[in-house]
Amino acid sequence: MNLIDQVEQLFIQDKIDIFLGYKALDGHLLPHGFTRDRMEELKALQVSEGRYSLEKIATHLTEKHPDIRIGMIARECNLRTLNLLYTWKQLNPENIETINISCCPSPLKPHSDCSYLEPKQTGAYKKTHGIDFNADPDTFLDDFNNKNRFSRWMYEFNKCIKCYGCRNICPVCFCDECSLEHASLVEPGTLPVDVPIFHLIRATHMAGRCIDCGLCEDACPMDIPLRLLYRQVNAIVSDIFDYRPGNGTDQSPFTIIGEKTVLEPKPMDAQLEGEKEYGL
Amino acid sequence: MDCKFVPAVCSYCGTGCGVLFEVIDGKINATLPMKSHPVNHGKLCIKGWNLHEYINSYMRLKTPLIKEDGRFQKATWDEAIGHAAVKFNQIKDQFGPDAIGVLVSAKITNEENYLAQKFTRAVIGTNNVDHCARL
Amino acid sequence: MTIKRIRFMQELLTFFGLEGRLHLEWISSAEAQKYVQVVTDFTEKIRQMGPNPLKKIDAAVKGAI
Repeated sequence: MNLIDQVEQLFIQDKIDIFLGYKALDGHLLPHGFTRDRMEELKALQVSEGRYSLEKIATHLTEKHPDIRIGMIARECNLRTLNLLYTWKQLNPENIETINISCCPSPLKPHSDCSYLEPKQTGAYKKTHGIDFNADPDTFLDDFNNKNRFSRWMYEFNKCIKCYGCRNICPVCFCDECSLEHASLVEPGTLPVDVPIFHLIRATHMAGRCIDCGLCEDACPMDIPLRLLYRQVNAIVSDIFDYRPGNGTDQSPFTIIGEKTVLEPKPMDAQLEGEKEYGL
Repeated sequence: MDCKFVPAVCSYCGTGCGVLFEVIDGKINATLPMKSHPVNHGKLCIKGWNLHEYINSYMRLKTPLIKEDGRFQKATWDEAIGHAAVKFNQIKDQFGPDAIGVLVSAKITNEENYLAQKFTRAVIGTNNVDHCARL
Repeated sequence: MTIKRIRFMQELLTFFGLEGRLHLEWISSAEAQKYVQVVTDFTEKIRQMGPNPLKKIDAAVKGAI
């Protein structure tokens, strides 16, 4: 059964209210929410090579409609994210239906459906002064000494333009209050950003959370090898705490208050509050 | 319930990065970079990332305002444009056209920029026209 | 838990290139000798490593602005 029929069945069996997939628009494959009211659109449903964080869209939808049942295209990275979001009670597994797809190339399908399966290119200057995108954390530790690692990371971090893109695109960044916006940790309104505090705060917060989807590295306008950093962070977590984020629905070792740390979803509509406050 | 993604061009600077607006129930909820856009390849700066915030902001001006007796009063577009025209004419008559300067912006289109310089040179009659990108 | 968290931080700092600048030790209020020994050893270790490279960079950045 092909993808479109599967989604149609989900709608017919009344299992979902909305399906998140991709649709072509003027030659661009963009995410789209397919609904029962506009079933004819389903013909255009596709799998996109570029990935958008469908889970993040699902959390946004859930914020607005807490009981909405969402169906979505899920690759392996999406499934890991979903597991993590279930763990942190940001999504209810009963309200999510996934259609799993394989993004790897196969004899039937020569191309891969994921831009991340193509290794990233690293320029010559970046290789000598910075860090190779495709470096392996272990060989990185072996190849360079302490001082060299420091200067290479500082070279990368110093490029940061503080766009907050890594946080904004991150499917597992859902906190109400973000430490990166905390004035005593990261000084607001100044550039260059507090290097390396900004990046190390984010790195520690990715411990036990990062599911290695690579969206942050792709969204970084300054090509900082964030994926390598978070990969190492989670290798440490896996060594010390024996926890691999997204591989199940076990609580993270960084859940300090235990079962009770249910992070509140963001306020439904901060703007309405603002309007009330200003009497508009 | 409705969720769609509307491609647009960032309205901040002249680079023209492709953005996607996440529209839930007819209201813009978030901005995403467009991965397949040839200009920005899925990357944005901090202004682009927060593009959705000013669209629905309660601080946003929805009508022109005219200052009367030290306070801004809501006005219609005809009133506001008429008011500006009268004042421009007064300044031009009293101090000459070179007392007026026009600054145009990268946020408007080439055609609008062309119109603005035409307005400055042909209507007002001065060469005092500049653009924010000509730093 | 603390020991694991500190080990996590130590390994993160190692990866970043600030190896050996974080130390954790349990010392009871009755172990004055051990306290002296640990602090002396660690101070000596840090002295040999030299000043924190971040401090220099911080000053340079501030000077540039």
